[in-house]
Amino acid sequence: MNDQLKENARSGLIFGVVIIFLLLFGLTTTLSDIVGDLFNLPTQTRTGNSAGLMVVLALIALWSGSRAASADRSNWRTGLVGSAVSGFVLGGIVSGFILLVGSLDAADVEMRNYFAQLDRQSVQFLLYGKSLWVGVLITLGIFVIFSLLGALLSYFLETRQAGVYLQTQYLKLKERIMDVSIVARLRDHPQAKWIGYGVLLVVVLVMPQMLGKYWNYAMGTVGIYVLMGLGLNVVVGLAGLLDLGYVAFFAIGAYTAGLLTSPAPITIQWNFWPVLVISILLAAFTGILLGLPVLRMRGDYLAIVTLGFGEIIRVLIRSDMMAPYLGGPQGVRDIAGPSIFGFSLATEKGYMYMIILAILLTILLTTYLQNSRVGRAWMAMREDETVAQAMGINTLAYKLMAFATGAAFAGLGGALFAARNQYTGPADHTLMVSINVLCLIIVGGMGSIPGVIVGAFVLKGLPEILRELDQYRLLVFGALLVIMMIIRPEGIWPAPRRKMELHEKILDGPPPQTSVAGNEG
Amino acid sequence: MSILETRNVTKRFGGLSAVDRVTVEIPEGSIYSIIGPNGAGKTTLFNCITGFYPADQGDILFLDRSLIGLTPDRITQRGISRTYQNIRLFPAMTALENILVGAHPRLKSNLVDAFLHTPRQRAEEKEALEKAQELLNFVGLKGKGDLLARNLPYGEQRRLEMARAMANQPKIILLDEPTAGMNPNESRSMMRFIQNLRDEMGITILLIEHDMKVVMGISEFIYVLDFGQLIAKGTPEEIQKNPQVIESYLGRGAA
Repeated sequence: MNDQLKENARSGLIFGVVIIFLLLFGLTTTLSDIVGDLFNLPTQTRTGNSAGLMVVLALIALWSGSRAASADRSNWRTGLVGSAVSGFVLGGIVSGFILLVGSLDAADVEMRNYFAQLDRQSVQFLLYGKSLWVGVLITLGIFVIFSLLGALLSYFLETRQAGVYLQTQYLKLKERIMDVSIVARLRDHPQAKWIGYGVLLVVVLVMPQMLGKYWNYAMGTVGIYVLMGLGLNVVVGLAGLLDLGYVAFFAIGAYTAGLLTSPAPITIQWNFWPVLVISILLAAFTGILLGLPVLRMRGDYLAIVTLGFGEIIRVLIRSDMMAPYLGGPQGVRDIAGPSIFGFSLATEKGYMYMIILAILLTILLTTYLQNSRVGRAWMAMREDETVAQAMGINTLAYKLMAFATGAAFAGLGGALFAARNQYTGPADHTLMVSINVLCLIIVGGMGSIPGVIVGAFVLKGLPEILRELDQYRLLVFGALLVIMMIIRPEGIWPAPRRKMELHEKILDGPPPQTSVAGNEG
Repeated sequence: MSILETRNVTKRFGGLSAVDRVTVEIPEGSIYSIIGPNGAGKTTLFNCITGFYPADQGDILFLDRSLIGLTPDRITQRGISRTYQNIRLFPAMTALENILVGAHPRLKSNLVDAFLHTPRQRAEEKEALEKAQELLNFVGLKGKGDLLARNLPYGEQRRLEMARAMANQPKIILLDEPTAGMNPNESRSMMRFIQNLRDEMGITILLIEHDMKVVMGISEFIYVLDFGQLIAKGTPEEIQKNPQVIESYLGRGAA
């Protein structure tokens, strides 16, 4: 019992510290504005929407309270006490912080010098435009009241008849929808899969027409990250080779496309299409060249060497030494776009279609790969390299193949990227690109093709949609990764295999009947 | 005619000779055993044959061709399979996939075939899948092909490892303690299984085994290692009476 209360107090403490961090970063201000806009709440202060802030804090309190209560469902009273404790701790910490900031501000201390977010207006915003003590009390009140409400809510949903009733009704409704003749017939129809693909294809084909210039550009960027994610997925997800210098192959694709089609710094102006093929092949070839010396290394060592390789490429393309050939820090300009039969594809829509086509092709190819002798050899290597070799797999050759395949997709992405921007420079090829691609695989689900797409949308698409949050992208990334690793290590849309791996019960008896039955006949 | 032959094979770790001038000869279609106390060098000898360790001296002949200097993958491609003392499946792959990986040397489709999904590749995949399913049934794992290898019970993992070793249609299988950790019932069924392997598939068997019931029950000929050296060889009856063997197993004075 006492342990439980301690646990609740600690949870309140953690929530409180996190909220203070968010306040200091100013993230809550942005969130409050979004919430305020969403519900059309009135604004009282100049920096942010105070009513929005109240809603944000209330939601956090609700979450914390229901969490505290759900630890013990046997008795609603203990749950309530628990959430009250965590609510008081949480509210105490945050309102204490606000009190401190408010009184320092009242004493004319310039906190902006230390924390950029804590100017006069922001302090007013934290106090909801009210006087010091009123603001503090409101904060404390919000946390305590909503923690208790959260506790009641979770208790209600978990145990009360009405709550259970709601849940069963929801499940019944879901079942009924699935059983409605059309849905059921569609689901069980052998061609349903193809109809689904058809609908998807139509959406994909129509989408670039509907989107404006800006959105086509933004979604094109997401698409290029999908391409790279699919490629890196082969290297990391299938073959288990941790490559942190993936951007190098992206750069090679982009620069090959750039240098061979633009008038400067080298006056070769070839047609886009053969150059695209050359970019892909050259990237794959570089993958093999890099692979030869480093692939004898395993695990961490490989990661560090590839990281170094990525940086070498970036420094090379930036360097003055290579400037006459690669354009130095200015990069390569006036990269030519593609055309078909004299019809130029060098528009936002045109590139969008090309990227979509490239993604569809890549999905097809990587699916084939996964279910082939080569894909299985890669997986075996990932699982146990020594035994894989004892199975007759030439591990060195297969590693090179994985590297080359991954690099080829990055080369394709790079070439499309450079052509679309009509420019490429060192700033396009930083370490951050490698990390982004790796992150989107991890967030989406290692080794899963839909996971890569979802991951790219979450990590590259969401920041485009939530422009206001752009400056907190790294903060959100970090938090997202930590949270993902804790609550859903297999990713948002995992490959079925990974899911089995991480959420399995080790069985020592007969295997589950379903899988046995499903395989017979 | 002997299918596998080692000639004075020596493997040293530092100053210690784990395998010391060992010469064995395995005829085709036979079941031979290597026994010896812990640390006698039995598994090291296996590792030398399969190319995990390069032999310091001596020669290893498989079908009259030397295996010296070949990497493990090349040796497997020649037709030698093995299992491991501590089971080493690919834990996060399904049972069927494990067998398909075992079939790797037998299959031909390459990266380009996989990309293009050629009719040849599809036909090969289909055939490989059927063969793998047959093997799965043969080792008594029917209907468990889609389970992850690590989720199978211990005994089934052992049998899956055998199926994987059989998948490349080897001429000889080296079994490293196939009945380790099994109860007498399971051991007996494993013995029958090994006998079947030879009788029905014509695969030569060389096994390391501690369980004397198993060794004496199915071996046609036995080599005894102690401290890396071959101290005796003979039929089970001869070995059982050999004073040197009894001494190495039970200690000096017991004989």
